[in-house]
Amino acid sequence: MCLSSRDRKEWADLEPVPQDDGPNPVVKIAYSDKFSDVYDYFRALLKNDERSDRAFALTAEAIELNAANYTVWHYRRVLLQALSKDLREEMRYITAIIEEQPKNYQVWHHRRMVVEWLNDPSEELEFIADILSQDAKNYHAWQQRQWVIQEYKLWDNELEFVESLLEEDVRNNSAWNQRHFVISHITGFSDPAIVEREIQYCLIQIKKAPHNESAWNYLKGMLQDQGLSSPPGLLERVLELKETHCSPYLLAFLFDCYEDVLENSNKKENMSEGDRRETLGKALEICQLLAQEKDTIRKEYWRFLGRSLKNKCSGPSDPLINSLLGLFMNTEFNFMSD
Amino acid sequence: MAEEESQFEEFEQIDFLGDRHVRFFQRTLQVLPERYASLETTRLTIIFFALSGLDVLDALDVIDRNTMIEWIYSLQVLPTEDQANLSRCGFRGSSHIGIPYSTKGPGVLHPYDSGHVAMTYTGLCSLLILGDDLSRVNKQACLAGLRALQLEDGSFYAVPEGSENDIRFIYCAASICYILDDWSGMDIQKAIEYIRGSLSYDSGFGQGAGRESHGGWTYCAIASLCLMGRLEEALSQRELDRIRRWCIMRQQSGFHGRPNKPVDTCYSFWVGATLELLDVFQYTNFDKNRRFILSTQDRLVGGFAKWPDSHPGTCSDSLRLLDIGDRAPRVTGTRQERNNEAKHAVLTTPRKYY
Repeated sequence: MCLSSRDRKEWADLEPVPQDDGPNPVVKIAYSDKFSDVYDYFRALLKNDERSDRAFALTAEAIELNAANYTVWHYRRVLLQALSKDLREEMRYITAIIEEQPKNYQVWHHRRMVVEWLNDPSEELEFIADILSQDAKNYHAWQQRQWVIQEYKLWDNELEFVESLLEEDVRNNSAWNQRHFVISHITGFSDPAIVEREIQYCLIQIKKAPHNESAWNYLKGMLQDQGLSSPPGLLERVLELKETHCSPYLLAFLFDCYEDVLENSNKKENMSEGDRRETLGKALEICQLLAQEKDTIRKEYWRFLGRSLKNKCSGPSDPLINSLLGLFMNTEFNFMSD
Repeated sequence: MAEEESQFEEFEQIDFLGDRHVRFFQRTLQVLPERYASLETTRLTIIFFALSGLDVLDALDVIDRNTMIEWIYSLQVLPTEDQANLSRCGFRGSSHIGIPYSTKGPGVLHPYDSGHVAMTYTGLCSLLILGDDLSRVNKQACLAGLRALQLEDGSFYAVPEGSENDIRFIYCAASICYILDDWSGMDIQKAIEYIRGSLSYDSGFGQGAGRESHGGWTYCAIASLCLMGRLEEALSQRELDRIRRWCIMRQQSGFHGRPNKPVDTCYSFWVGATLELLDVFQYTNFDKNRRFILSTQDRLVGGFAKWPDSHPGTCSDSLRLLDIGDRAPRVTGTRQERNNEAKHAVLTTPRKYY
């Protein structure tokens, strides 16, 4: 059992500095003597801005007691540089700490600083993959991964890595996000061959797991700026899927397609009035299906969307649309004015 | 008989345990055990959560406002005689650096003492809740400290010695400028560019460009733009509609923070508040959200947990209370009125978010 810092001769020259919360402390944390001891000496070192090996060693003790204290980490970095400490050893140290506490902001920031000082990202992808194998959605890990890939241009194998994660869990939204990140930086989404490849990929994943918001968000996100109705045959493929692999996300996608068609017809005036009304009718039917059956938790929202679309597209006195809207509002009189 | 009993049970299940929560917040404000050590540098935010919770429960009379106000002012990093530390001013999270207790200036020279942007934000909010008029806040020093934290890309560090930088601290900065009614603390245009850059392909916001969209960062983005008064300037109607869709899809019973993740009571606030700022919270399912939140109450010690049958957190309980208390359907009032309400809503960032 270690002597407390107060008993050690090598600390005799230093006056420990206690925390001072004044006469009426609030949210006081009840520290043990050991904890207070370490931090009282930490505060003393800090006050004198001491640059020494004993200070460096004490930061490790302070970190062990509270790895979220950002001042301790900052002081440790000052000492790493002032004492020209072995940064490879520091990488080993921070690796061990992150394995124990992978959701702490300070430890990941510290690692990033050391990687930058070494200018050596060679361990990163493997290390982060290991952290992700324990929690495939760890936000800090994904952030570090994006940083190191972008900073050091480590794009080459990342799409393969993403696909392996999606094989393990096709619902991993972080992996879908990474897919978008990689492709948008390597090739972008303007090449029609790339877009078609990605559409294919999405549809295959959707067939495996239809109730997967991530796949649908990816598909929509990729296509929405050029127009959801623009890829040839996509609407038809989605209508086919509706029969066998339906989900609220598929239906929402269909609604957005119809809305896109109607917006384009506004601009280009290449659609007959009859076709417009038919498309609007289909869109409103989707809202009704979602509100009444397929996504009832959001029924008020789907009704709101239907009303908004109707207001945008048709005059208030269109009898066909009004009767559709009447059906879809049913008799609950939940009409809320906008 | 059996039917009556089960009805009574159901009633008991969904009742709101106001008194227990008051006592939970009171205890939080007193002493926490050592296992909460990781909260040391953020103790000021804990006060903020507890005060917000008591405020919502209309129970601020259980605390001594004046002693609390004094303690908060002791955390202000004030300028030294020669003002050399202006770029480090603001509020500390706690006394952990070892500065001797003082509620008055001038500041003490110390090589490592500086404010933290989230503590400045929650410190100011806490003072307001306690009824303080902020007359002892050195506003110019706070704003100088804030300016020192903004990077070229528009995001903010938390502390002048450097830290990670992202959208969370833009939100803290915007809140500080709003409270002090002085936007010289930040370059709004750059902040807006960073926010726009954080908009994901799926129309949620990530912590920065390219990152996965998330309920907490979406709140930071939208709330910042609302505080700046730039929501409709920064985002088109089409973008806003898509953001509304992303947010509203987060409701599962309560809300989750990212697609395909489990629900967590804190997102009832992050996502719920965003939906309110975007005028569409009225279209969510209040009943399911409320039932989920109430199911996470700890019936013995008070407080709310992330999920049913787990331990209450210290940090986010006021969020959950707010969600129940403030979520009465509001279909009256102008958009501006609702925005102002939302702006004055008590906001927080749980410890794990920084």
